[in-house]
Amino acid sequence: MGLATVITVVPLMAHHAFGAEFDRDAPIRLQGPVVKLEWVNPHAWIHLEITKEDGTNEVWMVEGGTPNTLLRRGLRRDCLTPGTEIIVDGYQTKDHSLTRANGRDVTFTDGTKIFLGSSGTGAPYEAEMLATRQQQGRC
Amino acid sequence: MNMRRTIFIPAVLLMIASSGFSSQTTAQVQARADGQWVMPRTADGRPDLQGNWTNATITPIQRRRDQDAVYSPEEASRLEGGRAARTEALNQPSDPDRVAPPVGGDGSTGAAGGVGGYNYFWIDAGDRVAMFDGEPRTSLIIDPADGRYPSRTDASRQRMAEASQFRRQFGQYDNPENRPLAERCVVSFGSNAGPPMLPNYFYNNNYTIVQTPDHIMIMTEMVHDVRIIQMGTPKPLPKHVKPWFGDSWGHWEGDTLVVETTNFSPTQLNRGQLSGATDNLKITERLTRADEHTLNYEFTVDDPETWTDTWSGEVPFTRLPGLVYEYACHEGNYAMFNVLSGARAQERREGGRQTPER
Repeated sequence: MGLATVITVVPLMAHHAFGAEFDRDAPIRLQGPVVKLEWVNPHAWIHLEITKEDGTNEVWMVEGGTPNTLLRRGLRRDCLTPGTEIIVDGYQTKDHSLTRANGRDVTFTDGTKIFLGSSGTGAPYEAEMLATRQQQGRC
Repeated sequence: MNMRRTIFIPAVLLMIASSGFSSQTTAQVQARADGQWVMPRTADGRPDLQGNWTNATITPIQRRRDQDAVYSPEEASRLEGGRAARTEALNQPSDPDRVAPPVGGDGSTGAAGGVGGYNYFWIDAGDRVAMFDGEPRTSLIIDPADGRYPSRTDASRQRMAEASQFRRQFGQYDNPENRPLAERCVVSFGSNAGPPMLPNYFYNNNYTIVQTPDHIMIMTEMVHDVRIIQMGTPKPLPKHVKPWFGDSWGHWEGDTLVVETTNFSPTQLNRGQLSGATDNLKITERLTRADEHTLNYEFTVDDPETWTDTWSGEVPFTRLPGLVYEYACHEGNYAMFNVLSGARAQERREGGRQTPER
């Protein structure tokens, strides 16, 4: 077990200061199937259901960015359909009674990114990645 | 011989008319038979500025110290290549066996606040150096000559200190009104909607311009901020009336749209580089079609009681190859709830209201 090989963090200006919403002393790692996707602004929210150590299930909400950017790249909400298993790492909200966290890194269970960050430069690596994903039936 | 081909777009006319803007708008798209670009004009002969535009760029607003105003072609290429390489690196898979990030924060700074942001795939900050008049620019500010904000006056510093002191008496998480305007979904962050209209270096740096003889509308995608510029002889608002984005009046100087704005909302001014400005702040913008794909945007900020000199910038707006989407911010703003709820939870854990952090 090791830390993420690539830490995908964007320390830039955003809709809000992340540190005001999330607790740096409450890191989390979540894994489970998507149960709902709120494709809304200012932040999209991915809902996933995890199984806790006691065997019970719990639904968590994970904050993403603006869906407008993904729409402009031609990506759709059905790229992340309910039942798709994902892994998230991040930090829980400061209110620990809420099962919410930031999506510091959100991937499929094989570690690949759910979407690609490029706006479509046509670079060879990108074409290769997209071809592989299409073969796998992914967006 | 100037053979011209004219294409009329009735659907666009109908759409704009139905949105409340009267008919005289996008009239024609013209191209000479030899392929040379010709300035498109509205039915009343003015340059047609309409459509969707973006000002996303990796060129910063302010220049690094001791840097030339223009990148060499090699430097520009290196910077753009670096951005592409970073995107490629961030697209690589993560370790599926990764554990939770460290307690106490992951070391990220700025707005990431030690908890990181979210996956890079949400971000669209721009990947090109700003090209203006054929030059790859190192800053958007071009005057003062060093490409940096001019010094502030002592009076301006004093006003900023007093404003800060005033805010300190309130907890920053006590209520929604104490939160920043962008977090409240009131206006976009940074100076995205302007004036001056500057990139936010994050995402959605997109604008829609709609034009009539009497009014020009500029909508910023972020928080669907809408500026209405009135054309003609200015009839300024009374001094005490200060709407969002100020009171803007426009006129044509040749083929350039010139917009002068005064009467800025003090709430909106109370942030970023325009903090500490006075009621005498005046911002002048100039918009000129440069070619088929480019709208040259120039601005000058003038407030002698705030800065020791005026400051001006040049920003290329390029055609957005796509749509501008709705940004219904308030309706889904869980972040505001989470921020305030988090502050209350922290107070309960720590036994009472804490001294506000600044």
